[in-house]
Amino acid sequence: MVRYILRRLGQSALTVFLTVSAVFVLIRLAPGDPAASFAGPMATTEDLARVREQFGLDQPLPTQYLVFVRDMLTGNLGTSYSFQAPAFDVVIARLPYTTTLATSAILVTAFAAIPLGVWMARRADTRREAGVNVAGIAAQSMPEFWSGVMLLTVFAVLFPVLPASGFATWSGIVLPTITVALLQVALISRLVRREMGANLAAPYLVAARSRGVSERALTWRYAIPNSAIPVLTALGTRFAAMLNGVVVVEVVFAWPGVGSLVVRALETRDYPLIQATVLVTAGLAVLVQLLIDLAYPLLDPRVRIGKAVRR
Amino acid sequence: MTATATGAPGPGDGFPAEVPLLRVSDLQVELITEAGVVRAVDGVSFEIRAGETVTIIGESGSGKSTTAMGLLRLLPDDLAVLSGHALVQGRDTVADPRAAAEVRGRAVSLIPQDPMTALSPVHTIGRQLLETVRLRRGDLDRSAARDRAVSLLTQVRIADPEQQLRRYPHQLSGGMLQRVLIAMALACEPALLIADEPTSALDVTVQAGILDLLLELQEQTGAGILMITHDLGVARLVSDRIHVMRGGRFVESGEAEQIVGDPAEEYTRALLRSVPALGPWDGAGTAAATAPEGDR
Repeated sequence: MVRYILRRLGQSALTVFLTVSAVFVLIRLAPGDPAASFAGPMATTEDLARVREQFGLDQPLPTQYLVFVRDMLTGNLGTSYSFQAPAFDVVIARLPYTTTLATSAILVTAFAAIPLGVWMARRADTRREAGVNVAGIAAQSMPEFWSGVMLLTVFAVLFPVLPASGFATWSGIVLPTITVALLQVALISRLVRREMGANLAAPYLVAARSRGVSERALTWRYAIPNSAIPVLTALGTRFAAMLNGVVVVEVVFAWPGVGSLVVRALETRDYPLIQATVLVTAGLAVLVQLLIDLAYPLLDPRVRIGKAVRR
Repeated sequence: MTATATGAPGPGDGFPAEVPLLRVSDLQVELITEAGVVRAVDGVSFEIRAGETVTIIGESGSGKSTTAMGLLRLLPDDLAVLSGHALVQGRDTVADPRAAAEVRGRAVSLIPQDPMTALSPVHTIGRQLLETVRLRRGDLDRSAARDRAVSLLTQVRIADPEQQLRRYPHQLSGGMLQRVLIAMALACEPALLIADEPTSALDVTVQAGILDLLLELQEQTGAGILMITHDLGVARLVSDRIHVMRGGRFVESGEAEQIVGDPAEEYTRALLRSVPALGPWDGAGTAAATAPEGDR
């Protein structure tokens, strides 16, 4: 068990390192010049050269990379060009906003999608279920920048009951959470419905029914625990993705999280900040994945850590 | 609707022996499939009394399992249309879905076809067996229910029952699981056991043990058994009466000795010839060559 965790942590570190390295190269291949956006439109050629030298951008790419790796191994991710502060600290300062939004969105998703999916499975192919199904497909098809703006228009402009942007009060979290959760509820509830549908028709469930187990217990004690693994996996993956910054939603609602930070960093070609953001979010994503994998044996006794699934 | 729901005695004990445990009359089951509506069971009638074993034998697709699942209403409601009557201790499960829900796990219990898929994979044997015990005997507290579970497992000759209660279904063999499922069926203290091909998913070497166990338990409890099988060897061994089913109908019915010894129908004779016999290979027609045709 401990060996398994250590091995997974090693793999995770390698994954994160390779991701950051790829990003390091790709952002330098992309068009745009950090020196130009730092020095401003009035800068002379000499100004630009001085800024490049200051940032170490006058060095050849392999040299820049080796310097970057050396600094990273000593825990230094460089200084953000636009913030003039350690890039890592800038990211960490934004992280709580993103984790708060992601946690709130994933909780809303779980508490809405699981009961909804269970209900849909139990009422499969009735007219009301078909209606919910259509609504789900609609929610799935709405891009977040559109549904976010629509929610803003209705609840912050037409009926100003909720703040339009930022995180001044806790009520500010409501609209971004709903925007993120809308799509996720649509996706996860359909997954729950499919899994529950399969388990409600499974032979073990018919056998339990033949022993006089009540319909309510069949749903809650049999079908739901047996549907848990794929649903938990999906929720975990969605959560990890949200930790990478719910970029569109953060921008729409001016949410001061990692997502809006990464947009700004990309706009100003702030290389150290982009690298630090990728490092932190990729690290979080692989950690969440590890936690999910460690939770599997608790949900399914056939899964043993570090061994293949039997049967 | 029939006048059965009123004044029906409680399931289980004290039921007058002269009334059949199960009286099925003109049962029809229509299944809605992609290919259209199929009449899987086309008007069958039979009775089972206490202590009797009645066998329905037929090929796959003959409607024998559908008959059993239909009279317990274990077929999906939206895919199966039932008509006729099935009176379990006087209560019509076809006319009244609630009666079916009430007799399941009390008056009747089912031994399912494939033990490997008949238990929830994420719960222990103990949890599932104790649940069944306590459904029937709500008066038992945890430790008394546990004692009962252990004694049931002992009754179906499972070694080291305390240990088995803590294990998960995937840790047991098919034969062991079928014994666990029989123990669960017994936990319901049923007057009628429905065994739906209880041995067909098992190794030949463990089949005989399971059948012996069923017969022994029947002797102890006096339960009636409805045996569903495609295996004439099984039918001959356990049955009082046999119904030969084909295409949703009984083509021949009678006492076991008469069906096996002096079958009237060509189909039954073909079934009999298809039973493999041990002995030297004589080159002439044996099992496969004379297997009956006409599986609908």
